[in-house]
Parts: sequence; C-alpha cells; structure tokens
Amino acid sequence: MTRLTLERRIEIGFAIAVVIILAVGAAALRSTAATVESARWVAHTLEVRGELEATFADLIYAETAVRGYVITGDTTYLAPYDSALASLGGLLAGLRALTADNQAQLKRLDSLAALVAVRLERFRWTVETRRAGGPSAAGRAVIGGRGKELMQLIHGLVGQMEDEEGRLLAQRSATLQSKARLARFAAWGGALVAVTLALIAGALISRELAGRRRAEVALGETQTRFRQVLASSTAVIYANTVSGTTFAPSWVSENVTRITGYGIDEPLRPTWWIDNLHPDDRARVLAEMPALLANEQLTTEYRFRYKDGTYHWVHDEARLLRSAAGTPVEVFGSWVDITDRRRAEETLRVSEERFRLLLGSVRDYAIYMLDPTGHVVSWNAGAEQIKGYRAEEIIGQHFSRFYTAEDVAAGKPEAALRAAAAQGRYEEENWRLRKDGSRFWADVVIGAVQDERGALVGFAKVTRDLTERQRAEEALRASEERFRILAVTANDAIISADSRGDITYFNPGAERIFGYALEEVTGKPLTVLMPERFRDAHRTGLARYLATGEARVVGKTVELAGRKKDGTEFPLELSLASWRHGPEVAFTAIIRDITERKRVEDTLRRHTAQLEVANAELDAFAYSVSHDLRAPLRGIDGFSQALLEDYAERLDVTGKDYLARVRSASQRMATLIDDLLNLSRVTRHQMHVAGVDLSALARGIATDLQKGDPERRAEFIIAPGLQVQADPGLMRVVLQNLLENAWKFTGKRPHARIEVGSATHDGRPAYFVRDNGAGFDMTYVHKLFGAFQRLHGAQEFDGTGVGLATVQRVIHRHGGRVWAEGAVDGGATFYFTL
Amino acid sequence: MDDKVILLVEDNADDEALTLRALKRNNIKNDVVVAHDGVEALDYLLGAGGPAGRPPHAMPQLVLLDLKLPRVDGLEVLRRLRADPRTRLLPVVILTSSKEERDLVRSYSLGANSYVRKPVDFAEFTEAIRQLGLYWLILNEAPPNKTP
Repeated sequence: MTRLTLERRIEIGFAIAVVIILAVGAAALRSTAATVESARWVAHTLEVRGELEATFADLIYAETAVRGYVITGDTTYLAPYDSALASLGGLLAGLRALTADNQAQLKRLDSLAALVAVRLERFRWTVETRRAGGPSAAGRAVIGGRGKELMQLIHGLVGQMEDEEGRLLAQRSATLQSKARLARFAAWGGALVAVTLALIAGALISRELAGRRRAEVALGETQTRFRQVLASSTAVIYANTVSGTTFAPSWVSENVTRITGYGIDEPLRPTWWIDNLHPDDRARVLAEMPALLANEQLTTEYRFRYKDGTYHWVHDEARLLRSAAGTPVEVFGSWVDITDRRRAEETLRVSEERFRLLLGSVRDYAIYMLDPTGHVVSWNAGAEQIKGYRAEEIIGQHFSRFYTAEDVAAGKPEAALRAAAAQGRYEEENWRLRKDGSRFWADVVIGAVQDERGALVGFAKVTRDLTERQRAEEALRASEERFRILAVTANDAIISADSRGDITYFNPGAERIFGYALEEVTGKPLTVLMPERFRDAHRTGLARYLATGEARVVGKTVELAGRKKDGTEFPLELSLASWRHGPEVAFTAIIRDITERKRVEDTLRRHTAQLEVANAELDAFAYSVSHDLRAPLRGIDGFSQALLEDYAERLDVTGKDYLARVRSASQRMATLIDDLLNLSRVTRHQMHVAGVDLSALARGIATDLQKGDPERRAEFIIAPGLQVQADPGLMRVVLQNLLENAWKFTGKRPHARIEVGSATHDGRPAYFVRDNGAGFDMTYVHKLFGAFQRLHGAQEFDGTGVGLATVQRVIHRHGGRVWAEGAVDGGATFYFTL
Repeated sequence: MDDKVILLVEDNADDEALTLRALKRNNIKNDVVVAHDGVEALDYLLGAGGPAGRPPHAMPQLVLLDLKLPRVDGLEVLRRLRADPRTRLLPVVILTSSKEERDLVRSYSLGANSYVRKPVDFAEFTEAIRQLGLYWLILNEAPPNKTP
C-alpha cells in the first residue's frame, strides 16, 4: 500500500472541510427561508382577522345607523349605513381571495356572506318601512325582526373563522420551528466538524514542517562537512551537464579558487576550460573527449593556465553518468595539480638525458660498463671511436678481447678486475687491441661499482688512446707551423695585442709596412702605429669594448690611416678580431696598405667623371646634329628639285642626272645622320631592365614587315616563350635590326625562311635570328659589327652599315655578347647573349 | 572674306624659301608672315608690350614653329603662347629638323597641337606641307576667336 503524501492528505482534509462548510451554509439558507415563510403566514393570518373584524364592524355601524334613523327619522344617521353597504362587498371579496387556499374557510365565508346579505336586506326593509310608515312601523319592524339573533350568528361565524386562522398559524409556526431547529443543529454540527478537520490538518502540516526543518539542518551539516572536506582537498571536483556530445560546466568545488586562483564563478563560463588549456595540449585533449562518452571514463593529463598566467600540469579523471534511459547526462571528475611531480620527472629525465649526451659526446675517452664477470653492458661514442666496435656488436662480449694475446694468456684481465674489486680502483698504461687487430697505447682506469649495501654490481672502465693524443699534439704543432709560415710570408701586416693594447706579435709584413722591427714595437702600445689624431679614439674604443663588449671596429673591416716609423701617413684597411686567451682578452689585426688601391680608385673616379662629361658632350653634340646637320641637306635637295622643276628646259640630260645625283647623295647623307643618331641614342639611353617576351616582340616586328611588303612570301618560325630580363626599348631595337636585315637579305630568295630561337652557348642561353638569305663570307666576320662597315654593295642591298653596330652596342650595354655565323649564299645566323 | 594668315617662325632662309615654295605648289593661298626668331614671333602675336599690350595684328590661323631659333627658342615661344589667354588655344604646329625624344616630349607637354619633322627629300617635304595645309587650314575647325 502506498503511503499518501502530506500534500495529498492536506488536500483531502481541505476538500472534506469545504464540503462540510457548503452543507452548513445550505442548512442556514434553508433555516432563513423557513423563518421568512413563517413571518409571511403570521401576516396573512392577521390580515384575514382584520378583514373579518372590519366586516363585522361595518355591520355594527350599519345597524347603529339604521337604528338612529328609525328613532329620529333623520336621514343623516344613514351615512354609516351607506358606507357599510359600499365597503362590505369589497371586504367579502378580499376575504375570499385571502382564504382561496382553504376549503373549510371558504365554506364558512359563503355562510357568512349569506348571513350578511340577509342582514343587509333586513336593514333595507327597516329603512323603507321607516320612510313609508314612520317611526312606529319601523319600531315594530325592528322589534319584530330577528336582528339580534342574526348578528349573534354572524359574530359566531366570524369567531369561528378567526379561530381557524389562529389554529392554522399555530400549526405552521410549529412546523417552521422544527425545521429551523434542524438547520441550527446542522450549522453547529458542521462548524464543529470543520474546525476539527482544520485542527487536524494544521497539526499534520506543522509536524511535517518540523520534520523537514530537522532534515534541512542535517543536510546543511552534511554539506558543510562535505565542503570542508573538499576545501581541504588537493583535488578540485567538478560536474558538467552533458547534452549530446557537448559538455557545459555546472558545478565546481570551492577549492578551485585556492588551487587555480580563479573565482568560483569563472569555471562555470562555458569556454573557461578550453580557453585555458595549453595551446600545445588543446588538440590532443579535445581529441580524447569522445573516449569519455565511449568508455564512461577518461583519465588525462595536460597543462592548464592558472589565474596568474602560469601553466600547471593537471591530472584529470572524469566519470560519465547516464540516465535510466542510457543517455549521458552528467560528468563528474576530479582534477589534481601534478606540476611538482611532472617537474621532478622532467628534471630526472633531463638530467639522465644530459648525462647520456655527455657520455655519448665524449669522443676522446672510451667509457663503458662491465658486469661483475667482465662482460660489456654499455658503450659510448668514444669507445666506438677508439676501439672500432659498434655498441650492438660488443655488448655482451667479454672485455678480455681488448687485451693482447700474451696479456690474456698471462691472466691480466681477471687480475685487473680482482684488483679493482679489492681496492675500488685499478689503473695501468699498456697496449690494447682495436677491432681491426691494431694496437694502441692505452691509459686504462677500472673502477668498481657497488650498490647501497656494498655489493659489487659491475665495473666502470675509462680508456684513453694515448697514441691519439700524441697525434693531436703533432697536428697542433703542424698547424702552428703553418700559421707561422703564413704570418711570416703574408704581404699584409698581422699584429696581435693584449687587452692593454700593447703589441705582442708583429709579423714581417707589419715590419715592411710600418718600418718598425719586431723588437722595437713588442710591448709598445698600438698607438705608435697611428697618426696623433686617432690615438684618443683608439684608447676610448678599447676601454669601451673591454667594459661593455660594444664593438665598433672588432669583427669588421674598416678603412683608417696608419703612421710609419718615419712619420708618414698612409691609408690602410683593418680587419680586427678579438678572442679570449684564458681570462685575458687579446686582439689580432690584419692590416693592408691600400695606398695603391686608393690611387687606382681615385683614377677610376676621375675617369668616370671625365666619361660623364664626355657623355654629356656627346648628348649635346647629337642634339645639335639632329637639328643643324639636316637643314643644309634639305636645302641642297630642295633647291636641286627647284632647279629641276623651274629650269628643266635649260638643262640637258646630263645636267638633270647630276642634279638627281646631288639629291640622292643628300638624301643618303640624311639617312646616315639618322642612323648615327640612333646609334648614339642607344648609347645615351637610360637602361630600365624588366621582363621582356622576345617571342611576342619578334612576332610583332614580323607582322609589320609582312604588312610593309605583302607581295613577299616569307616563312617566320618564332620559338615561343623566349623570356629575358632586359631593357624593353633596346631589345626592340635589336630585334628590329636583326629581323629587318634577315628580311632584306632574303629578298631574292623564292622561299625565304627566318627563324628566331634560343640555344645554349657556354652554359648560358643564347638567342638567335637565322635566315636562308645571301649570307656573308666568314673571312670578313670581324667587320660585320663595325659602324659603316658593309659586306654588300649598295646596288645589291641598300643600307648604311650602322644597324649591326647598333645591335652590338645594345648587347654590350646589357653585358652580353653578339656574334654571327654565315656563308656566302648560305644564309646567316646572328647570336646574342644577355 | 580674307584668308587667314599663317605665321611661319623660321630662322633658316633656305628652309623659309622651301616652305614658301611648298605652300605655293600646294595652292595654299593664305598670306604667310615670317618671323625669323622667337622674339619676332612673340612681338607679332602678343605685341611688343608683352602680355599686357594689344597685339597689332589679327590672330593667325596657324603657327608653324621651328624649335631651334636665335634669341628665344621655339619651346620658349610655345610656353609663352600657352601662358597667355589670347594665344592659349592658337593652333601651333612644331615644324623642325629633329626627332629627338626630349623635343617631342617637351613640345607636346607645353601644348603643341602637332609635331612634324621636316623631311630632307623635297618631294616628301612638299607632301608634308600639303597635308598640314589640308588639315589645319581646311579640315580642322579653328578654336573660337573669343578667349574663354
């Protein structure tokens, strides 16, 4: 049976109370309605009685009035009688309406109405009698009538009716009284029940609340205990809600602030955790997260940024909670700072690694371990170098193989181990064997290695090849000798100085350059080699370098002035190096006398300036030629033509021919001038190197040539993609000249073929323009590129002989070379490099 | 209606005679005024009083301007013409011997309307003058007389 909850019980109690209160209300309502009904009936009864009494009173008034009239004959006495006649009908009708619900009363009323009618008839008769017969007749009538008897009958009937009404009233009141009593009883009883229920419900609620308060206090104590436990813990506990595959932080233990420095609310920010993961760990840790959903738990370690910005290693262990339906709902986890442990591990690892590297890098000593029986258990690079075995082939072998056969026969290896074990250390110099069987003179130290309890765990062996050391010493001597010879024979001055700036070495080159002998300057300050004005700067610079290491000259090559023994100054180039010789700083300078070089440089500079002036002059000259040299030619040609036109009739054929020759010569001169100007323009042109597509350039020029002479059939074969770095304008000049030449000299070929391409010449790309035209005699190839040099007569092919000179000028300006190959009637090929 | 004047600025008497001959042979009937150096040309166009004075002559329809001139050279003449509101729009054709790149660049930069190199061959020279006359005196619409 399930126990009803408190809420359910209180609800039921209240429902019962409401029902009872509603019932009490209904009873009270009914009781009130009964009281009202009772009052109405009292009023009804009183009204009937009133009516009855009024009827009877009216009859009495009428009787009195009739009597008065009978006695007096005065008609004024009849007024009450008249009014009674008038009202009696209404009264009887009203009574009938009032008693319509009561059959007995209605019967009585009928009787009453009949009696009243008789009585009224009697009155009328009496009044008539009085009027007709006078008082006596009337008196008789009154006396003789049964008036009195009739009135008594009416009175009795009225009394009966009144009694009936009183009885009815009493009966109805009694009924109502009992009903009202019942209602009162119900109201009191109901109220009592309701109050009782309310009291019970109140008691129940208060008992339940008290129980809850006790539970809350107990829970609070538990929570406080729990919080204290967490606060003192080194593990941060956290919870995440899970929806799908996303985690949202929902709770974290308060010690997070003590441990990480973050406020208690910060970890609840959704991205707090990811934001503070170390960037190098983030991808890895995020990749591990799905495993938490798959395996219900996850243990991982990563670096995490604390509030102060430092990263700490954290051990994070999380458990997944699933709902009854199996969906992941929550993740709980603990989080421990393991930075110290990590650091210790790292330190140990680094230290071991360093030691391993140290041992590995030792090349001059064979350092290796033996087990207690003398088998090799470790091997370093020095051992490999000295003995020639690699680690994998020697580990596990007995160390006696390093001994010579006679030593092994004499039992020396075992003796050495015994001695080392007994004394802790054994040392000897003796012959040892390499892997290849060769001997070397070795210095051997064997140390016994013991554990904490003093038990022998093995031997450490250090072997040094003394042969090698001897060889190194020889090499050093040889090197020093080489340097000495170098220093002695060098043309440059080589001078060393100590940290005070005093000369410690002065080679023969220095003696020759400065004029001092070695003995004269050794121990003297370097300043003796400097002109007066540089000495202070030298001293300051030396002091600064020694104090701060700030080098202005050391490590560089600078130009300075030097001072010879005879006091003359000369320009020198100085390269200065410094090195540490023990605690001392020392300097070595290599000094070259650059008097000659300076002189050459000056000459070169002067020549360059002269060349610039010459170029400017050439420019001015060309400009002037361009303007002034052509004008006279124009005059010659123009006026010759004028002569031909205006004086034609006075000139014979020869005269006209001469004038035609004058014109032709002047025009040819103009062409020569233009070509010369082009040639000089190529020289004066400012070079702007850019990427140039020779193929596109050649195609454009070929198209122009073809357009200029559409009648000609010529085949152009232009290799695609010829890209060079050159001046675009000048390259156009080159290709224009070469292609125009090719076009010109193939003019007499029925099938002209002009080819543009590239080839490799001496490992560099060379470009060529080849034709199958008239060609040339290789005997005169050297004249080809000279200005105004022509290998064909003007009658055969026209031209000024400047084109190829221009080409050569352009190619030379690009630092390239141009040359030609050809044969008479065998075509020509012009090559150029850039 | 009067034909408009051509101003020929030319210091070389031979070139002057040849130019006049070429004009005549091409039936160009316009009056030709010859200035023998830059100063004369500027006097003619702008008046001796310089920019402030009134020019004594009607504006020519075309100026044929040599570059290499005594006293004031052609480029300077061009510069002053272009600086003066009265001659700013005046058609000026450079007619000279040189085809040096710097001459071309400077002439056009200063606002020359055209640049023609005098050929040595007189037949070519005559043809050049014919085309100049056809273009500048007949085809080309002159700028409005009013200075803007």
